[in-house]
Amino acid sequence: MLIIRRRRGESITVGDEVEIEILETSPTQVKLGIRAPKSVSVLRKEIILTREQNRVASGSPAVDDKLNTLAEQYRVTETGLELPDPLTPVAPEVSHPSALEPKRNS
Amino acid sequence: MATIDTQQFGTLQYSDDAIFEFPEGIPGFEQAHHFVCVERPGLRPITFLQSVDDPGVCFITLPAKAVEPEYELDLAREDLRVLGLAQMEESLACLAIVCMPQDSAPTANLLGPVVLSRETMRGIQAIREDSRYSAVHPLKTNRTESAPSAATAKTATGETEC
Repeated sequence: MLIIRRRRGESITVGDEVEIEILETSPTQVKLGIRAPKSVSVLRKEIILTREQNRVASGSPAVDDKLNTLAEQYRVTETGLELPDPLTPVAPEVSHPSALEPKRNS
Repeated sequence: MATIDTQQFGTLQYSDDAIFEFPEGIPGFEQAHHFVCVERPGLRPITFLQSVDDPGVCFITLPAKAVEPEYELDLAREDLRVLGLAQMEESLACLAIVCMPQDSAPTANLLGPVVLSRETMRGIQAIREDSRYSAVHPLKTNRTESAPSAATAKTATGETEC
């Protein structure tokens, strides 16, 4: 990793087209200004991490057995916990093909 | 009532007022702007976040507070704007997307919770700037000694406690 010391108002360039300027600093944060062509994607790393996680999550096959285990582990018993209760009234009706859950979620 | 043929639930019926709009989509699924929350009997507190734009896109979620009881939701002003809110609300639902890879332990994304407002029927995956929470928070998997079929029966009786 290349390490460079910079002060507020100073810049570094990456390649010919990308410039990163230090706009503000504080003990806990640095504010950066980034000039880059539209073709260069500039993203906070957390977003890339979340994107990767989302792709894996969406592709995970939801096996009933595993879901039951998960629900059991996190079934909430304390009161005052913010379950997504407000969602329940608008939750759509599900007709699940599995014979395991013949009841309708109405 | 509209219907959608999902991979997860088969045919799913929903009304328009059950749709949460995600103006920015979800990272990795930027084209998916409309989701419904689906619950299955016996599987609370799991909530499924099913895209109605793409039947193949469905996320398994747990309330962030169920995963981490001390969890504090923190929204940037920009996130509130996307949700159509002027300030934080108590009624916001905060869900962590669960990742259940076939060959490794399940994790939940506490760094980027999905936040839903029932008032505006909008949602966002709000990615935090601090690193207090992990995008791959390990989930408990301790199994009780029971066969899968027995576990199903048990959850069916446990429904009322929620």
